[in-house]
Amino acid sequence: MMGKRLLSMFVASAALGIVMSHAEAKTVIHVMHQGDPGWVTTYGEVAKRFEAANPDVDIELIYAPHDAYNEKFSAAVMSKQMPDVMELDAPFLANYVWSGYLQPIKPLIDQDILDDMTESNVAQGTYPIDKDLYAVGLTDSSVVLYGNRKYLEAIGARIPKGVDDAWTREEFEGYLEKLSKLEGVKWPIDTFRGYGIKTEWITYAYGPILQSAGCDLIDRKTWKSVGTLDSDPCVDTLAMMQQWVKNGWVVPQSSGTNQFFAEGHPAALAFGGHWFYAEAAASMKDDIVVMPLPKFGPKGASPNGTWIWGITTASEHPDIAGKFLSFMLKDKQYRDYAKNDSAYPGLKSFAADSPLYSAGGPMAVAFEQASKTAIARPPHPAYPTITSAFMQAVDEIFNGGDVKAALTAAAEKIDTDIEENDGYPPFDEQQ
Amino acid sequence: MTLQQPALPATAVATRPAWHRDRGRLFQEIGMLAPAVALLTIFLIVPFLLSFWTAMTNQPLVPRPTPVRFIGFTNFLRIFKDDLFWTSLWNVSRFTFWILPVQCGLAFATALLLHQKLPFRNFFRGLFFLPAITSMVVVCVIWGTLFQYPTGPLNQVIGFLSGGRIQPIDWLGDPNWAMFSIVLLSAWQAYGFQMIVYLAGLQGIPDELYDAARIDGANAFQRFWHVTMPGLRPTHVFVLVITTIQAFKLYTQVAILTQGGPKSSTETVVHYMVRTGFEEQKLGYASAVSVILFVIVLIIALVQRQLLRRFDV
Repeated sequence: MMGKRLLSMFVASAALGIVMSHAEAKTVIHVMHQGDPGWVTTYGEVAKRFEAANPDVDIELIYAPHDAYNEKFSAAVMSKQMPDVMELDAPFLANYVWSGYLQPIKPLIDQDILDDMTESNVAQGTYPIDKDLYAVGLTDSSVVLYGNRKYLEAIGARIPKGVDDAWTREEFEGYLEKLSKLEGVKWPIDTFRGYGIKTEWITYAYGPILQSAGCDLIDRKTWKSVGTLDSDPCVDTLAMMQQWVKNGWVVPQSSGTNQFFAEGHPAALAFGGHWFYAEAAASMKDDIVVMPLPKFGPKGASPNGTWIWGITTASEHPDIAGKFLSFMLKDKQYRDYAKNDSAYPGLKSFAADSPLYSAGGPMAVAFEQASKTAIARPPHPAYPTITSAFMQAVDEIFNGGDVKAALTAAAEKIDTDIEENDGYPPFDEQQ
Repeated sequence: MTLQQPALPATAVATRPAWHRDRGRLFQEIGMLAPAVALLTIFLIVPFLLSFWTAMTNQPLVPRPTPVRFIGFTNFLRIFKDDLFWTSLWNVSRFTFWILPVQCGLAFATALLLHQKLPFRNFFRGLFFLPAITSMVVVCVIWGTLFQYPTGPLNQVIGFLSGGRIQPIDWLGDPNWAMFSIVLLSAWQAYGFQMIVYLAGLQGIPDELYDAARIDGANAFQRFWHVTMPGLRPTHVFVLVITTIQAFKLYTQVAILTQGGPKSSTETVVHYMVRTGFEEQKLGYASAVSVILFVIVLIIALVQRQLLRRFDV
């Protein structure tokens, strides 16, 4: 009795809420996003400009914090409150499309933007089964090796000119050892363990090290992890990183993420994202050297992928959602903000606009990686488990655990998840 | 024991034969019970039964193209085979084992202190209660800064006091220290609640008992041991049970500061549940973990009650 009455009260008030929000007779487009405070402000301003140009549309921004974004999105799906437009982390695209949340975006976005996308940008927004595009972004990303010029000169290190003459593993480890003995260097390298063990960082940045060494998180043809993630090249590579940590060469997790440019410059090298350049260069000035990621085996590899924009299947006005996205991607102030944030270009016109990444620019090497060594994270719907299992294994290994055992456990966990989902059809047929 | 709590409230006497005496009152009582029973059913009993049902399926967090199936006890078997689950159980046990004496001891000691007739007593009571009304999230962020390695304030103080003889400790980054660091900040944040409970318990002990003990020639320690301690028996039971249950649900601190690391040394059962349920999106599996946690907490609470009843009351 009481329960029913309560329930009907809830229903009534919810219904009232829906009626009220429709009373203004405006089309409401919900946009779910993440980002640092500066980005959040920028999105708000873009939305205002779009509303001014389209008075019959109301853009409602929904902010969700970066670290819990996928959890928040899942909650929105469960409560049937999916946004129209959503920002998503590229490696999760396969999972979202497979689950039926995103719709093909090509018919909804202006053609000139589609033509403007870099290859890597197209790759990060493409679903491997139907090869269709589901998301688009202004930006992309990469990781490079930053170095402190003074320290590198002191040990006489060779400074690579481009991606093709990147350091080899032997060179790299030799320099780490020399740096560890150099006066003033507390840690030879910061691999940004300070980002924690739950953000995408570990899979994003360390995954390519495995690919460079000749293995991977999962076999991308058979979609089996056992036999790949626990194979000898992977075990060997992570054992190498474990040894660096044991030697005291790596900035510890609890020392933050600014040791490269902090007072006294305690870290000599930084295995860091392109976004790190802006803050590091501001205090390092000419002492910062940008180098390609070392080759740990037969080939070079570097991360790519960033937060991109898709339109959900729940949207009642996909055309307006697409119009908003096209508007935003062309918005001058939005692009200016991205440029000042040293954002990595995913559109060719934006690259031409960014002196930082163009030929001769300080981050040119980073952009060179996009066409030469960039490898996307595994585009498979089991990605949430793949990344979670790998991050946990790396945490175990960096803290002295058995490398082979940790990787075997992770590989088995990934394969179990895929089996539990009947191989995520049709991924099981994609041999 | 001779020193009993004040008599039970009168209602306990009245309810016993009620429904025999008066049919009219029976309906009245059912009517009064109904709202509470309905709410408990909707918000506690039904969700629990649902989670037990979910635990028997491969239910994903969000709808997926693959069918949801009944898979019996498969989830439970997988959990029992997962080393990480046992690690997390071991970790919360360690946490509980440390936090009980630290937090309850601290709470009891401050309660005794603040029960004295000191000047500014109410001011200090408020002051000591402050951490408890501060959000755990805020406390974690602040302590995270204090714990910084190697140049955080805590390490600097220790380095200064020891004249540099004690090397900086990686509080949250060393698998041997991480859980202990979490114990420290948890006890500091939460002891205020137990302190208030103890204060209430202390105030419930009638002054006459102390006067009588004094006339019998009992010294301060004897008064504490033979009057205060027995008088606080129900309070001890309550505080112990509540603290244990809270300790087993450890989550916030870990989620913010260590995410279960380093080397899974701060993984807890609830964090494991969130990890599998939300990150890996296996709702059925996570429900099974929650059912197991419920059973464990229930058993511990029952055992504690029985033990304390046997020894004391």
